[in-house]
This record gives sequence, structure tokens and C-alpha cells, in this order.
Amino acid sequence: MQGTEPTDEPLDAGVVGSPAEEARFTLLAAAEIQDHLMSVTNDLERLQRLLDDAGEALSVNFFGASAEVQTLAQRINSGEPLSPGAFAEALQFIAGAVTALQFQDMSTQLIAHTSQRLRACADKLAREAFGSDDEDGEALVIEAPNRPNPVTQDEVDAGSVELF
Amino acid sequence: MHSILAVDDSASMRQMVAFTLKNAGFNVVEAVDGQDAWEKATQRDFDLVLTDQNMPRMDGISLTKKLRENPKFKSTPILILTTESSDAMKQAGRAAGATGWLVKPFDPAKLIEVIGKVIR
Repeated sequence: MQGTEPTDEPLDAGVVGSPAEEARFTLLAAAEIQDHLMSVTNDLERLQRLLDDAGEALSVNFFGASAEVQTLAQRINSGEPLSPGAFAEALQFIAGAVTALQFQDMSTQLIAHTSQRLRACADKLAREAFGSDDEDGEALVIEAPNRPNPVTQDEVDAGSVELF
Repeated sequence: MHSILAVDDSASMRQMVAFTLKNAGFNVVEAVDGQDAWEKATQRDFDLVLTDQNMPRMDGISLTKKLRENPKFKSTPILILTTESSDAMKQAGRAAGATGWLVKPFDPAKLIEVIGKVIR
């Protein structure tokens, strides 16, 4: 190995393997990881809002349906004949719960996309820190998603419908 | 009784869709992804296909293209029910031959209304 005395030769950022070039790649990697982590933060905040909204909607619909069923039971017990329309309110609350329960699917997708992004960051950090030397061959590296999270909803209001 | 093929890799979504459709008087067959749906579609007739987009093995748009290539499904209404709401994805669905694009979460009454408009 050459002596460690400082030299007068300028660092050449264009030379592969040069200290300047390596520093540039590390900065680029750090910037990319930062972007991914900011996306993760935004997605997790959206997940929290989604869960809060779903919890509220489910609570409203559960207690609403429960109250309607109790009212119907009282009316039946008092001998009052009920028309089919009498159940409409209760069914409305149940429909609201069906919409709100879909939060589980949206949350799962949000989490899966976010996990992939975090795993890609971890892999990239490992590569930056330890290089890609692997005596057993190239380790499997997770690629970060190349598009934003497909779940953009942060509440459980019904989505749009479009017929072509 | 009309038969609907409901496709989604999420068990909870299939449960919500089946609950809604059965209560409205439809016969429902569930599939866990596009490949499963394709296999089931070739084995029996369906009056409508309601499919998710993002699924393993075969996504909803690919399933739609494959169904449309088969003369048996040339006119079958195919609705895509998905979290995706971008115009690009909607146009891809339209180009693949989808009849409509519904963004999750669905409202049960609206879903039944849309199905009523397109099913024969």
C-alpha cells in the first residue's frame, strides 16, 4: 500500500473508485433512502388516519344498528306488526359497516407497500456499508416500489364509480 | 338467478362482496386471484365478473384482457373494484376491455345499482 502522506494530486470525481466518486454515490444513496423514508412517514400517517376513520365509522354503525334492532325488538314485543320497511334503518347501518370494514384490505396494501420500501432501504444501507462482496453469490435484494403507494385513501367514504 | 365471479386476493374483501351480492339475490363464486378466476371462468358461465386489480399471479387488467380474448366472454360485463384511482390505471382498464372502474371502498347500494345497470 502506498504511503499515507497527503499528495498534491486533486481528487478526480470522474474516476471510478476514486474517493470523490465513492462519496458522490454515498450521497446519492443517502438522498434516495431519505426520499423513501419520507414516503414511509407519509404513508404511515395516512394509515393512522384511515384506521381512525374506520374505527369511528364502525362504532357509529355498530351502535346505530344495535339501537335499531332494540327498537324493533320492543315494537315486536308490544305486538306491533312490522312492515318490511321497518328494517330499512338497521340495514342502512349494516351497509355503512360493510363499507367501513373494507379498511382491512386498504390497510394491508398500505402496510405491504411500506414494508417493501423499508426493506429496500435496509438492503441499500447494507450494500453501502458492507459492499456487495458475497462469497455465496449475490444476496437477494428487495427493490423499492417504483411508484407511489396505490392506496391514496385516508378515510372509508365510498369511492368513485365510472362506467366506460 | 344471475351468477357473479368475485375476484380478490383479500379474504375480507371477498367476504364483504359476497355478503352484499348474496343479500341482493346473486349467486356468487369467489376466486383468490386472476389465475384462479380464469380457471373458474373456463369451467362455467358467469353473468358478470367483479375483480380486484392488484393481485398475485394475474392482476385484474390481465384477467380482463384474457377474458376478452375468449369469445365466450366477449360481452360479459367486467367491473374492476380496486384501491387504484389514477386516470392512467382507469384508462388501462378501459383499454383492456373493462366495463367499469369502481374505487374501494364500495358502498353496497351503489355496487348493486351499478351491477343492475350492466348485467343482462
